[in-house]
This record gives sequence, structure tokens and C-alpha cells, in this order.
Amino acid sequence: MKNYDKLINDLAPQKFGKLGVIWTCSLIVIIILGIIAYIDQLIKGQEVTNMRDYALWGIYISNFVFFVATSFVGSVIVAILRLTKNTWRTPLVRIAEIIALASIVMAGITIMIDMARPDRLLNLFIHARLQSPITWDVIIIPTYIVLSFLLLYFPLIPDLAILKKHYKDDKPTLSKWYGKLALNWTGSKVQKAIQEKSIKIIALMIIPVGLILQTIDAWLFSTTYRIGWDSTNFGPYFIAGAFVAGIGALVTIIYIVRRVYKLEEYITEFHFDKIGKLLVLACLTYLYFNINEYLIPAYTATVDEAIHLETLFTGHYSILFWLVMVGGLIVPTIILLFKKGRKPLPMFIVGLLVVLGSWWKRYIIVTPTLLHPFLPIQGVPESWRSYFPSVHEWLITFATLAMAFLIITILVRYLPIIPIQRTADENESFENNKNAE
Amino acid sequence: MKKILNIHSFFFVLLSVFIITSSFAQKEKKDKVRLKAYYVKIMNSEVYFDLQASARVDGENVDVSKVELVIFNIVDDEQLELGKVTTNAVGKARFTLKDLSSIKPDSTNTYNIEISFGGNESFKGASKSISFKNADIKATVISKDSINYVTATLLDTASESPITEESLKVQVKRLFRSLPIGENFNYTDENGTILVPIEEGIPGVDGILTFEVVLSDNDDYGTVKAIVKAPVGIPIVEETTFNDRTMWSPRNKTPLFLLIFPNLLILSIWGLFIYLIINLFKISKS
Repeated sequence: MKNYDKLINDLAPQKFGKLGVIWTCSLIVIIILGIIAYIDQLIKGQEVTNMRDYALWGIYISNFVFFVATSFVGSVIVAILRLTKNTWRTPLVRIAEIIALASIVMAGITIMIDMARPDRLLNLFIHARLQSPITWDVIIIPTYIVLSFLLLYFPLIPDLAILKKHYKDDKPTLSKWYGKLALNWTGSKVQKAIQEKSIKIIALMIIPVGLILQTIDAWLFSTTYRIGWDSTNFGPYFIAGAFVAGIGALVTIIYIVRRVYKLEEYITEFHFDKIGKLLVLACLTYLYFNINEYLIPAYTATVDEAIHLETLFTGHYSILFWLVMVGGLIVPTIILLFKKGRKPLPMFIVGLLVVLGSWWKRYIIVTPTLLHPFLPIQGVPESWRSYFPSVHEWLITFATLAMAFLIITILVRYLPIIPIQRTADENESFENNKNAE
Repeated sequence: MKKILNIHSFFFVLLSVFIITSSFAQKEKKDKVRLKAYYVKIMNSEVYFDLQASARVDGENVDVSKVELVIFNIVDDEQLELGKVTTNAVGKARFTLKDLSSIKPDSTNTYNIEISFGGNESFKGASKSISFKNADIKATVISKDSINYVTATLLDTASESPITEESLKVQVKRLFRSLPIGENFNYTDENGTILVPIEEGIPGVDGILTFEVVLSDNDDYGTVKAIVKAPVGIPIVEETTFNDRTMWSPRNKTPLFLLIFPNLLILSIWGLFIYLIINLFKISKS
């Protein structure tokens, strides 16, 4: 019982320290700046952005694709590892679920930011045309938001009941809230059966829905018949990229949470080693798809394709391209191949590299293609032939990233980031097995 | 006193000379407008004048846009105003008559038209006269020994006499430019008639071909055009998917598979969501 109490004390949400408060305030400031920039964008129109007739999708869309990719972590860690009965996933799943929810919510918000007339959002549903990939996207994103929420909520119910009890005397208001969210959970057999069945359904559902989400995201591009996007490989290419981005984000956040909340006892080097192996697999898969995406067009190069690839390999976007490929994919893969590279700190650095690489990767998927249409647009100013985000775009983009971090921060602050009940059950089962031996 | 008056007179004269010369100098800067006019008559249809205004400014030919041109019918010494038109961005304008009976010929059955531009701040006034007689083309499509022909007769309307040794163009109307058929020059015979064989295999909507017989920019008769339609072409089988359910149709013509499967998928997923939410209630109540 003492162990159980220690477990609750260790894993119950903790108040932020000075650093946590500074971090949260910084995020709020960035968000406020972004909101001001967005209001200005609403008033003046998208003229304040640097998106023009050529680059009609810019940083907002690359940011949106990044969020969608990152949200895939919910499917990967939680569902796949659950269905394959990998028990080491336990201390990581909650953080993965939180990242997935925060990312997909922000993906939905980001796509609205990209709309010049968000007041016409409802028209996307009213006048939906099922032939359009935009419609598919409009349908799948709310679906994935609901699913990610359910994926987070169902396994959380027993923990909320524990927290209700834990805070009953110290923090009655908080305890009351946990109680409401715990849905009268007593841990009865009926409740457990319903909960387990529901989690199983969600775990089964989230894999195809996650795959559909990533594929639709890829088809938004590949159905447009543009240089650099016109590929039958784009669906799996995006799925592989999403694996990388999602696990990279998970590694980074797990490291920070582990250090701040001092969870070294629960999230051990063993977990980093395991997730490191998963990340290296994801990186190698993505690398394979990247080779496909660039090597074959380079080999069969039509004139337009050659121009596009030249801007990536040696031209205007070459520095960014090679930084992303080498820094964000090859170097992390090499580091992760070594056991020492899968220790927490190197893994954190690798995670950062991967996340940064993943973000910029979306930028170089979106922008260079738009700047190379098959038919150049006549009579446009020379400046429209290039694109770099405006101050408004940067402020709004940073605000969306800050919002994602804020959602994660708030959820980390008020939810047990390691499932308490599940950890207790596993410990009990481990002890029982030990005694039996 | 007289001296002062003289000085004043001197300055007044000097000022007048300056103003007059400078106003002349301004007038000298005005460019000359060139007017072109073409008379076109479509048989059993309208009659119109295609007008164009241009000028040579700083050694370059430029179109004179947005200037008003007045069209007069000159009958003996009388000038009857027919109407006004304004040139478009490329200096062109069209003045259309209902038919030729709305204007009068002179005693020699010649129609005299004058196009006049009154001038403006940039351009001097200009005028252009054209004269033409009325001619008719009577065109039909006939079939002789399984070969189809376009036959046309060119007549002077006033004298009702055939016009001989004039070249008529015969062409089939196409989407962009007309397709010439027959010889390059189809000269009218002593009856004012031409006979041009129609090639086989020309496609047309429902097999109907529209032929044009044209007397083009003739010195005496201007341009006269007769249009005749005949079902002598190969029917075009229109390969349109307009009424089909395709990926490029509007939403009311979405392909059925795209209506059925994604909607089934959406309903299944959201159905499961409802089931899961019901499970939450069950957990709460149990």
C-alpha cells in the first residue's frame, strides 16, 4: 500500500515551479502577439501575408501539415504498441495522447487561419463536394479530433477517480472537478469491462483513421498534378514522415517532462532505448521514401522536374533541403543506431533535430513546387515569383506552435502524465509473478 | 502721358503676340487621326461599317481609343447624320444599320458615307468617305451526281444584272477561323455564278455545315457575305461528360461510389463515436 501511495504522490499532477510559470507566461505572450497579427490579417485581408498568385499556400499550410503529421503519434504509440502488446509503452502513452490531441486541434485551427474568410467556414460543409480532397480533409480532421479526445479520455477515467480521492482534503475544488470527469468511476467489473472494450475499439479505429488522415493530407497535394507533388507514393511518404515527426515530438516532450517532474524512476533509459529503436525505424523508412521521391524524378527528369529538383539540390532551397535531409534525418538515424545515442540526452537532441527537420521539411514540400507552375502566370510582379513568410505569418505561426505547447502544458499540469492505475496494476502483476516464482 | 500709353500699347501687343503664337504652337502639337472604314453586308441580315481610328505619334502608329465618330449619309449635297459610335481600346468601332433601305443612294445608285471625327485636345479632326453599290449574293447548296456543291450568284441589286469576273471566297464556318473550300479564286461566269464542290468528310454539329460565300472588300461593292446552311457534313459525335457523374462534376453529380463508400465510412466511424459516448454514460450510471 505504501508503494501505491508513493506511486500516486509521484504521478499526481504537480504545481509548476518558477520555470514552469515563466514558460507558460512566455507562451501566452507569443499567443497574444499572434492573435493581434491575426486580427490585423482579418481586417486587412491576406495582403499582409506574402502569399500571392504563385505561392498561394505558404507557411500556414506547411505548419498545418506538420501538425497533422505530429498528431499521428497517437496512432503509432498508443494503438500499434497496444495491439502488439508492448508493455513498455505504459509511461509514454498519456504524453503521446496529449501531443496527438494538441496537434490535431491546432491543425484544425491553422487551416482556418489560412482561410481568408473564416466566416465562410460553414460553406465548406454546406457546399461540400465529395470529389474534392479539401472536403475529405474537412471531414477527417474533426473526426480525428474527436477520436484523439476519446483516446485520451477513456484510459484517463480511473486516474481521475484516483485524483479525486487524492485531492479530497487538500484541494476540494480540484477534487470536485476530477470527480465530475471521473464519471462515478468505482473500478467495478462492469465499468472496467466497458472501459476496456471502448479502448480496444478506439485503438482499432485510430490506426485506419490515422492512416486516412495522413493519406488525405498527402492527396491534397498529389491530386493537384504539380511538379514535386504528382506522385503515387505521396500517401505512404506522408505516413512515414508523420511517424518521424510524431515520435520526434514525443521523445522531446518526454525528456522535458521526465526532467521537470523527476520521473526518472518511471521513464527509464530502457524506455528511451525502445522508443529510440522505433524512431530509427521510422527515420529509415522515411529516408527510403525520400530517396524514392527525389531519385526517380531526378532519373526520369522532365524539364520542369529538373528545374524543381535543381532548386532543391543546388539552387535557392538547397541549404534548407540538405539541412533537413542530413540534419533532420540522416544524422539522427546514425546517432540512434548506437546504443549510446539512445540515452535520454542524445535522444532529446535527436528529437529536437527531427522535429525541426520535420517542420522545415513541410515547408520545402509546399513552397518550391508552388513557385514552379507548368504555365507561368503572366503579368505578375517579379517579387511574386519568390516567397518568404511575412512578419504577420511568422507571428501567427509561432502563436499556433505556442498554442500547441500551451495545450500540452495545461494538460500536463492537470492530468497524470503517466497512467497511475495502469502502472499500479502492472506493478501488482509484476509482484504477484515474482512471489509465484 | 502719351508715352506711358505707348508703352502700355507695346506691352499689350507683345502679350497678344505671345498668347496667339503659343496657342498656335499648342495646336501644332495635335496629331492627325487616320480613319479607315469598311462596308460589310450580310445577306438577309445586318449591314455594318467597321471603323478604325489610328494616328502616328512620335513615329509610331497608335490606336486612337475613346473618340467619337459621326456617320453621315451623303445624298447629293445633303448630309444626313446616321449616328455616332465611340472607338474601343484598340481604336475600333462598328456602326450597324438594320438594312440598306435605311440609307439613300445618289442618282447613280451609289451609296456615299462619310465618317467624321471632330477633333479633341490631342488630335485634329478628320473625315473619311466611302462609296459602294449594293450587291446581292444568292447562295444555295445543290447535289449533282452524288457530289455536293455550293453555288452562288452575284448580282448588282439596282440593275439586277449579274456581276461577272469577280472572285468569290467560299468557306465553311469553323470554331475559330473559317475553312476555305474550292479554288483560291472562284471567278463568277457570265451569269455571275460560281459552282464549288464540297469536299466529303467535313464534320459539323448534327452534320450541318455553315457555308459562307464572300465578296471580299470589292472596290465597287465592298464586302458582301451570304450564309447558307446544309446537312452535308459528317455529324459530330459529341463526347461530353456534362451529364455524367464524374470526379470533375459539380456536387449534384458526384459519382455514386464516392457517395456510397465515403458516406458509409463516415457513418460507421461517427456511429462508433456515438456508441463510445453512450459507453461513457454507461460507465457513469453503472
